Amino acid sequence: MNQNHSKKFGMVIDLDKCTGCGSCMVACMSENNVPFKVDESNKLDSITWMRVYKLTNGKPFPDAEICYLPRPCMQCEGEHGHSPCVSVCPAVATDYDHTTGIVSQIPTRCFGCRYCMAACPYHARYFNWWDPVWPEGMKKSLSPNVSPRMRGVVEKCTFCFHRYQSAMERAYVENRDTLEEEEYQTACTQACPAGAIIFGDLNNEDHAVTKIAQPDHHHGGRPKNPQVFRLLERLGTNPKVYYKSSKEWVRRKGDNYVAGEGKPGKH
Amino acid sequence: MKIDRRSFLALVAGGAVGTALTPLPLKLTDDLSIWTQSFRYMPNEVPVPPDGAVSTAESVCTLCPGGCGISVRKIDNRAVKIEGQEGHPVNHGGICTLGLAGLQLLYGPWRIKKPLKKENGTFKAVSWDQALTDIAGKLNDLRNNDKAATVAGIAGNGNNTTGRLLQRFLTAFGSPNYVTLPSSDDAMALAAGKMLGKSGIPAYDFENSTYVLSFSAGVLDGWGSPVRMFQANSSWKDNGAKLVQVDARLSNTAAKADTWVPIKPGTEAVLALGLANIIIRDGMQAAAIETNSPSFGAFRKLLNEKYSPKDVANATGVDVPKLEKLARAFAKASRPVAICGNGSAQDPVSSLDAMAVLSLNALAGSINRSGGIRLAAAPDYINWPAPELDAVAEKSLDTPRLDGAGTAEYRDAASLPHRLIQKVNSKAQSPVQALFVCDANPVFTLRDSQNVKTAFEKIPLVVSLSAYMDDTAAQADYILPLHSYLERYEDFPTTAGLAKPMVGLARPVIKPVFDTKHPGDVLIALANALGGAVAGAFPWGTYKDCLKETLADNWGTISSKGYLAQSTLATAAEAMAPAGQMDFSALVKLAEAKPQVPELTLIPYDCMRISGGSIGTPPFVIKTVADTVLKKANKKTDVFIEINEVTAKKFKVKDGQSVILETPVGKAQVKINQTEGIANDVIAMPRGLGHAAFDDYLADKGVNINTLVAPVEDPVSGFDVAWGIKAQLTKA
Amino acid sequence: MDSALIPEGVKRCPLPVFILAVLAVGAVLLWGVYAMFLCWIKGLNQTNMNDYYGFALWIWADLAVIALGGGAFFSGLLKYLVGKDELKNIINFAVVIGFICYSSALLILAIDIGQPLRGWFIFWHANVHSMLTEVAFCLSCYFAVLTIEFVPLILEQRQLNKVSFFHHLSHNMHEIMAVFAATGAFLSFFHQGSLGGVAGVLYGRPFGFRESLLVWPSTFFLFTWSAAACGPCFTILVTKITEKISGKKLVGDKAINTLAKISGWMILTYIIAKIIDTIYWAQVTAPAGGFALGEFYSNNAFYGYPILIAEIVVGGVVPALILINGKLRSNSKWLVLAAVLACVGISINRWVMVLQVMAVPVMPFDNWVLYIPSWQEVATTILPVAYGVLLIMVAHRYLPIFPQEKELNTFTR
Ligand SMILES: Nc1nc2c(c(=O)[nH]1)N[C@H]1C(S)=C(S)[C@@H](COP(=O)(O)OP(=O)(O)OC[C@H]3O[C@@H](n4cnc5c(=O)[nH]c(N)nc54)[C@H](O)[C@@H]3O)O[C@H]1N2
Ligand SMILES: Nc1nc2c(c(=O)[nH]1)N[C@H]1C(S)=C(S)[C@@H](COP(=O)(O)OP(=O)(O)OC[C@H]3O[C@@H](n4cnc5c(=O)[nH]c(N)nc54)[C@H](O)[C@@H]3O)O[C@H]1N2
Ligand code: SF4
Ligand code: SF4
Ligand code: SF4
Ligand code: SF4
Ligand code: SF4
Repeated sequence: MNQNHSKKFGMVIDLDKCTGCGSCMVACMSENNVPFKVDESNKLDSITWMRVYKLTNGKPFPDAEICYLPRPCMQCEGEHGHSPCVSVCPAVATDYDHTTGIVSQIPTRCFGCRYCMAACPYHARYFNWWDPVWPEGMKKSLSPNVSPRMRGVVEKCTFCFHRYQSAMERAYVENRDTLEEEEYQTACTQACPAGAIIFGDLNNEDHAVTKIAQPDHHHGGRPKNPQVFRLLERLGTNPKVYYKSSKEWVRRKGDNYVAGEGKPGKH
Repeated sequence: MKIDRRSFLALVAGGAVGTALTPLPLKLTDDLSIWTQSFRYMPNEVPVPPDGAVSTAESVCTLCPGGCGISVRKIDNRAVKIEGQEGHPVNHGGICTLGLAGLQLLYGPWRIKKPLKKENGTFKAVSWDQALTDIAGKLNDLRNNDKAATVAGIAGNGNNTTGRLLQRFLTAFGSPNYVTLPSSDDAMALAAGKMLGKSGIPAYDFENSTYVLSFSAGVLDGWGSPVRMFQANSSWKDNGAKLVQVDARLSNTAAKADTWVPIKPGTEAVLALGLANIIIRDGMQAAAIETNSPSFGAFRKLLNEKYSPKDVANATGVDVPKLEKLARAFAKASRPVAICGNGSAQDPVSSLDAMAVLSLNALAGSINRSGGIRLAAAPDYINWPAPELDAVAEKSLDTPRLDGAGTAEYRDAASLPHRLIQKVNSKAQSPVQALFVCDANPVFTLRDSQNVKTAFEKIPLVVSLSAYMDDTAAQADYILPLHSYLERYEDFPTTAGLAKPMVGLARPVIKPVFDTKHPGDVLIALANALGGAVAGAFPWGTYKDCLKETLADNWGTISSKGYLAQSTLATAAEAMAPAGQMDFSALVKLAEAKPQVPELTLIPYDCMRISGGSIGTPPFVIKTVADTVLKKANKKTDVFIEINEVTAKKFKVKDGQSVILETPVGKAQVKINQTEGIANDVIAMPRGLGHAAFDDYLADKGVNINTLVAPVEDPVSGFDVAWGIKAQLTKA
Repeated sequence: MDSALIPEGVKRCPLPVFILAVLAVGAVLLWGVYAMFLCWIKGLNQTNMNDYYGFALWIWADLAVIALGGGAFFSGLLKYLVGKDELKNIINFAVVIGFICYSSALLILAIDIGQPLRGWFIFWHANVHSMLTEVAFCLSCYFAVLTIEFVPLILEQRQLNKVSFFHHLSHNMHEIMAVFAATGAFLSFFHQGSLGGVAGVLYGRPFGFRESLLVWPSTFFLFTWSAAACGPCFTILVTKITEKISGKKLVGDKAINTLAKISGWMILTYIIAKIIDTIYWAQVTAPAGGFALGEFYSNNAFYGYPILIAEIVVGGVVPALILINGKLRSNSKWLVLAAVLACVGISINRWVMVLQVMAVPVMPFDNWVLYIPSWQEVATTILPVAYGVLLIMVAHRYLPIFPQEKELNTFTR
């Protein structure tokens, strides 16, 4: 494998623009054949590969502020691809792909031990506690690009890997081995009505993600842009999803600090 | 050869060892691995979605007034994904939650699969012929008994060919009672008419605004064309334009705004007038404003007397320094615009709100200016010759409308649906003997739902033309199942605040899944079944013929591009009095009395994760609703109301507690979500929950706020402009 | 009636009484089996586990049972490798208890996974980086060893032993038992350790994460050590309970005393290491990730500081001090108290390393989540207990588990 050709797909989500509308969540469900139940109000048992969290600044009325934070799988690289989840899966049902930087999930290989869920601090992994059931007629809306998952296995955001595959196939047919930035975009990126999600190759300096996040590849991809941060940077999970916010309190909510610790992002 | 025990054992052992050394065990294990991976025939088999020919079909989403272009991915004749259409002038590829989940509406169990007739309270399938013959028979009976005018029709899409065909049907039949559902545009157009001499649809040039002052308009909560508003907001973030949100609640709009100005709900107009006062006091108004006109003089005098910063601060809860700052920022901005329309603005705003906001725009010079508000002509392309009436119709059409719209009292209103309901309930025998409801869900969306339901029960024949088993269809005597929006042609005039209103064209994305029809074809068939002059009014073989004929030369463009851009803006603006000569007298009259705000007010709120209108919230979308809004416990799915700590203490209720929320028209058991994102003495409750029909995925989740809110008639337009209502909180 | 099956020279309760007791325990067992099948057929939605509590009651039971079963490998190690010969009087029982614990653990794992038919993927598609892979391999191998250790006991059953082949087989197996004991100890070191590693390697979960010594997190060593330390206490405890119920002395004081003494010193050294580890974690490891100790034990009465004190002081320091004191440990009441506390202590440790790891929110805007097991989970967790009781009842009645029983009880016939 030629290292120069290896890609590192990542995202920047602009929290100033994100309105918390939830389109990314629905786009993901629809794109990836995510099952749904009659009651989804128990959020501890509700499969949402993309979940939009609501952050508050904790101040009383009228100084209260809200910020929304969409959370797909962070596609953590850890150190050398030892993502928190990948390193623990006993059956290699989830793996780190060094050519794309994407953490795969093979539901047919997963035997449902849930160790990966215990390992993921972002709660990006979901277990199929129930058999997926589509009401009469609704199976017609299932996409053949993504296999529906069975009961008893874990699923998660794959950065819409099937879109990468079909883009590569198209490129192959056209005798190319590289993709243009817009050829591979995730369903949530494409849907977001606010244009808050930016997706691309962090190894490609021409891609918008790289320009905004300015990842420091010598320091585990840490962002050089002072308005950009990653969730739980300090744990060393090395995620490929970056967040941008002009608000200090929002950036500080992205990580944990022991009382009295200084500014976020610099340590 | 003799096989003794020893050699037999040796053979078996040797064989076993030999086999173990071949690749066979590995191969078998691997096969077993594969078999377990695809192990099927479980009680609930995981489906394998069939593959097939991939194609894309483009259309227009008609689930809200937004009119986004959509692009639907198909596998053979199955639609598998809806996406925003790249390059569409409304949404440029973006799409909202509801639009994305449209396939669940298309394929869901809530679809009505064949015509239904209610017998002893339960629906029974009947053939189309049977249903249409039955209904035509009953209509003929009414007509023959001089009761043609007791037939009424409610259209969800009042301004397109479908709605207009219903109107035509009623006219030819002899009934003036064609009822549409008034919108915020209607209220704004009416206010503009009063102040500028000619009404026009508000068109906002948000993309060029530098300062947007929103009076409780849910810019990011479904107001206008939602996706377009999201994109406008993002452009403001990029180019530094400011969004100031006046709102009783820290809505998503307020959360993303540069400034949130909390206010007592219902005092938005007071605030607007207070700002107007400061602007005029400090001479910050646009140069074009003719300050010498008598109406301006009266306006200035009124503001001076009744809308002093101190009074306004008292009424609205916004303190004086903030008022001064706000007025200055608005007036000094290069291209400011003020907007109103509560939440997603599905319902008309009050004339006072509309006029106050128009006056602010006039003072800022933002009418008919880049980045401001323009008043456009409504798309006007349906020009059918009037139907030829027979004697029955001629006579019967002289009867006054049941809802009183267009009468001396409410001259400017086209329709007043809430009044139609009141009329039905006011008489022992219903003055409406037959009611058609087409693509609308008034049982859910009209206020004081219990009253609406009573009226529906009283009407002897209710015919619902609907694609879904919604709350209204469930009340009907006949349901005539329609193609869903993805299975039919339909012109879709889109205003929704767009800078350039347009007409979109929905095109069938897939072949109809069930035994359904287009509403236009239903009306044509029904007219033919009635015969005579009614049939004569429908010369088209099919709805599609009618549509093509209506769009005439434009058919080619609209059917290939999917939309027809309107260039009527200039003409509408020209026909209007210059903004500088605005007539303030109607506003002065309304503003004499300041609005009263009850001590504790219940207000609805809109958000993108709950569909507030006639369409139910599909499963994918309801899945995005937080557990602080909707939560199942003890087999009941409760809705949470928002109040802040001060209010909670005052009413001695706690976070998470079950309480009874009572208003003059109803009460409901709800739970408390204590949050700091709401003003004191305000209760906020999501709009769009509590559907009674549809199915398990949607029904019986939370409470329909319309059961708690009573209509409030606007003194000028007559529209129901209720937003909040006085409420009481007690422990359950 | 079944006297021909009962070991020679010992007294057992009348058969009807025995059958009644078996039926009573069997009923509980059936309840557990029913719940187990519910989980297999209907799926894990029968539990109250969720996406936050992916590991819950069962996994705790699994870890606890393996820790308590640690008496088997450690007694074996002491007897066969260190040469503490007096432990021969308790080693058989330790093996039986170990067998019960490990077979239960494997059963629980088979119920716990979402796709039981694919359980063997852990071997077939093994990921060498995963602690769970290490656990699965060592656990299965050690279970095989325990089975081999258990077989001679069965063969010594009065009637079976009459078959010459069985007699010789069991004799020969005893001869080479040291080899198995060594293998067992080796395997146990790894699987006890890797179970500790399960939480210790979770660098995304600051409550569980510990820094590494060699290639393993500190919990690897703490788990092994604590199992070796407390496992014997469980063996002693079960022996005492069996003695109480059967109303006879089964194991001589010397064996018990030796085991208790060694256990005491083991617990003491373990708890010192544990305290050092806890301080280092609280002062260095957790703050590096932005966590103060208080955040781990706040917001939630269920997971407050008392749980830390209960584990380390009540379940660690106290039993250690009792057991290293010769006088106290000779007193049966103190001995039992210490054994109980040690077992509770190690169970709390395993509880915390499973449940609290799940409960502590890591994202600053996330919440503490409480979990209450469903009856199906409780029943399936009790299932191994019922199974264990049953196996001990049968083993005690029909197998010569306790070599000293005859000499300690003079029966009047
Ligand atoms: N148009 C066209 N169609 C063809 C062909 C062609 O030339 N043209 N070729 C045909 C031929 S020869 C073949 S072999 C097929 C190949 O077609 P497929 O069998 O669909 O093969 P892949 O595209 O490699 O997809 C395999 C998928 O399995 C996942 N996977 C990886 N490991 C495992 C595992 O252990 N278990 C499970 N369950 N999944 C795993 C991978 O992530 C991947 O997504 O296509 C056939 N179809
Ligand atoms: N990048 C990538 N590489 C792959 C795979 C992948 O998924 N991705 N899949 C792998 C797999 S599973 C497979 S099976 C192989 C397939 O690899 P190949 O065996 O190379 O298969 P094809 O690409 O289908 O090419 C077969 C060739 O045979 C020709 N042909 C067709 N009919 C006949 C005939 O009757 N007689 C003769 N003589 N020629 C004929 C075709 O024109 C074509 O040129 O590729 C493997 N390599
Ligand atoms: S779709 Fe975009 S704006 Fe909406 S919640 Fe997701 S990221 Fe935010
Ligand atoms: S976010 Fe969670 S699931 Fe995704 S790579 Fe990171 S640890 Fe794994
Ligand atoms: S649940 Fe599946 S993916 Fe997760 S660790 Fe276990 S086998 Fe691997
Ligand atoms: S990248 Fe794809 S899989 Fe991941 S959240 Fe977005 S839509 Fe879902
Ligand atoms: S905003 Fe309205 S028109 Fe656009 S996709 Fe959503 S529902 Fe459809």
